[in-house]
Amino acid sequence: METQSFWEATTPHRPEFPALDGNIDVDVAIIGGGITGITTALQLTNAGKKVAVLEARRVGGGTTGWSTGNLYVPVGFYLHNIARSRNQEVASTVARARYAALDYIEQQTREKNIDCHFSRRPWYFFTQEDNMVSTVEKEVETLQKAGLRADLVNDVPPLHLPELKRAAKMDGQARFHPLRYVLGLATAVAQQGCQIYEHTTVLDLKEKEDHCLLVTSHGVVTCRQVVIATHIPIGIHSVQTVAAPYRSYVVAMRLKSGAYPDAYFWHNDKTHHAITTHSSTSMELDMLMIAGNHHKTGQASHQEYQHYFNELEAYARKHFDVASVEFRWSAQHYRSGDGVPYIGLTHKSAKRTYIATGFYADGLTYGTIAGIQLADMITGRGNSWIGAFDATRGTNLATAGSFIKENLNVAAQYLKDFPVGKASHFSDIKAGEGKTIEVDAEKLAVYRDEQNQLHVCSAVCTHMKCIVNFNNAEKTWDCPCHGSRFMLDGSVIEGPAILNLERKQVDPQTEHLINTGGHTSGEREINNPIT
Amino acid sequence: MEIIYASIGFFALAALLGMYLLTFVLRGKETPKAIVFTHGPMAVIGVVLLIIYILKGGPNPWESLVLFALAAVGGVYMLYRDLTGRPIPKALAVGHGLLAVCGFVLLLVFAFS
Repeated sequence: METQSFWEATTPHRPEFPALDGNIDVDVAIIGGGITGITTALQLTNAGKKVAVLEARRVGGGTTGWSTGNLYVPVGFYLHNIARSRNQEVASTVARARYAALDYIEQQTREKNIDCHFSRRPWYFFTQEDNMVSTVEKEVETLQKAGLRADLVNDVPPLHLPELKRAAKMDGQARFHPLRYVLGLATAVAQQGCQIYEHTTVLDLKEKEDHCLLVTSHGVVTCRQVVIATHIPIGIHSVQTVAAPYRSYVVAMRLKSGAYPDAYFWHNDKTHHAITTHSSTSMELDMLMIAGNHHKTGQASHQEYQHYFNELEAYARKHFDVASVEFRWSAQHYRSGDGVPYIGLTHKSAKRTYIATGFYADGLTYGTIAGIQLADMITGRGNSWIGAFDATRGTNLATAGSFIKENLNVAAQYLKDFPVGKASHFSDIKAGEGKTIEVDAEKLAVYRDEQNQLHVCSAVCTHMKCIVNFNNAEKTWDCPCHGSRFMLDGSVIEGPAILNLERKQVDPQTEHLINTGGHTSGEREINNPIT
Repeated sequence: MEIIYASIGFFALAALLGMYLLTFVLRGKETPKAIVFTHGPMAVIGVVLLIIYILKGGPNPWESLVLFALAAVGGVYMLYRDLTGRPIPKALAVGHGLLAVCGFVLLLVFAFS
């Protein structure tokens, strides 16, 4: 079964935005047209700024359109862990900011009449294991300290689970259709004068004394401020040492009974499963989704990705009367060491460049927070969240362990690039299979399609030259170091890489590379210009 | 004296890996990063051992240390260019290797004469 996002499949009318054509001059340029970029654009346009959004692919087509559509105050890292890694004040600020973001999204859907199925409902957090009881209790306590209403409860009514050890409930959380919401916002903000460009890739960015310059695939953008809203900053950036890339999986199913529980659930035992329900075309719930199975991007167990979907499906069939599996997809998130996103000026010396990253798997709410906060910073309005999310804070003693672990992991990926022990014949690759092989002293990412055609690219990631791995569930090449992902033809999907994997030609008779006269992969002129 | 022999051992390993890497740079191919990230630390350990030896006092191969330090600066610069996608100048790679070889020869002369 091919992967397809439920949100992409249930968005009937997708507005088209043009590609940039020529040079422009604006107050603020925003790189990335997801929920972060579009929310920032809306806030800045409302404040009277001249804004341009530059999206490399389609608006909402990145992680926003591949998420799970849940809006909630708690966070995957747990607020009580943030209280430990930072302090209670930061945890409270994060919780209150997320609460405010929910209200903001609800307000936008009403004001702009966006048909995105926004609906309030409770969040449940429960466990059937003794060793997770304290986690549930501490999360409730931290929420209460933040001044928010959360309670320990004795039952999770829609599920009525046996052997429930501890459960918590928080009312007033919400669901929505994230892609319809972002496209609705984009349409509204474009009508207000914001320039939105799709299929426009930013290749270079320079912060000058009194302005910024962005070189794109379709022209140069001059601006006073830049917001890099690409989930993780593109190019090489120091934040990539403290925001590690992970993937998680979603399976969407219909139920025989049609009894879809109207709530969002976290079932945390040895593994974490998120259970949610959504609607395809109306407010009526008609789809159950199970999400979970996080792992570092490009580092699936035994490089086998299908089993992550299979496990979610098995979980669903154990707990629900599943009629059919309709959609399966996967999404990326970035984890900061202290569990708090990095939102703000990109470096201590930066005056004009802003970033937003490290959202964990809670990005729809955090993206909204980022949009509000970054607009407030650019327009000079006060915002009480700035200190908590400071993007220049780096690491601290409490997060040093995580920092070392993640970066040793990256070093270990580089050490796998050993010039021996690789399959080196194209005939070793079966139809539907992808492998990295070495030919003529070059690492190649080779995929053989069902028609027996070979698709060959350099296997060297264009970000920082790790060797990409094949993702057999999504048919992509995923970089295990910093999370760049590429399509079979080498095109960038997401992550920090700017340039596509270099395409290669192979002589099928001799199985040697054909010298096309272009640059070898070791001799690129432009790459990773953002430092 | 054992320290200087250990230092020579690490430099010898670094030199072998460095020559292997040079064949990639001269052909314009991507360098295998496992070798890059082994070559550098080997040379660093060699330099550290050499510094420990020199700090103990007495006659010392300071000329070798200077040459290795210059080679190290070139190595760090090449690593920066490599990882950020900029081409490695072939002359720089050769010069880095020649500096290191000169330092290594002087070290051998010092240790075995």
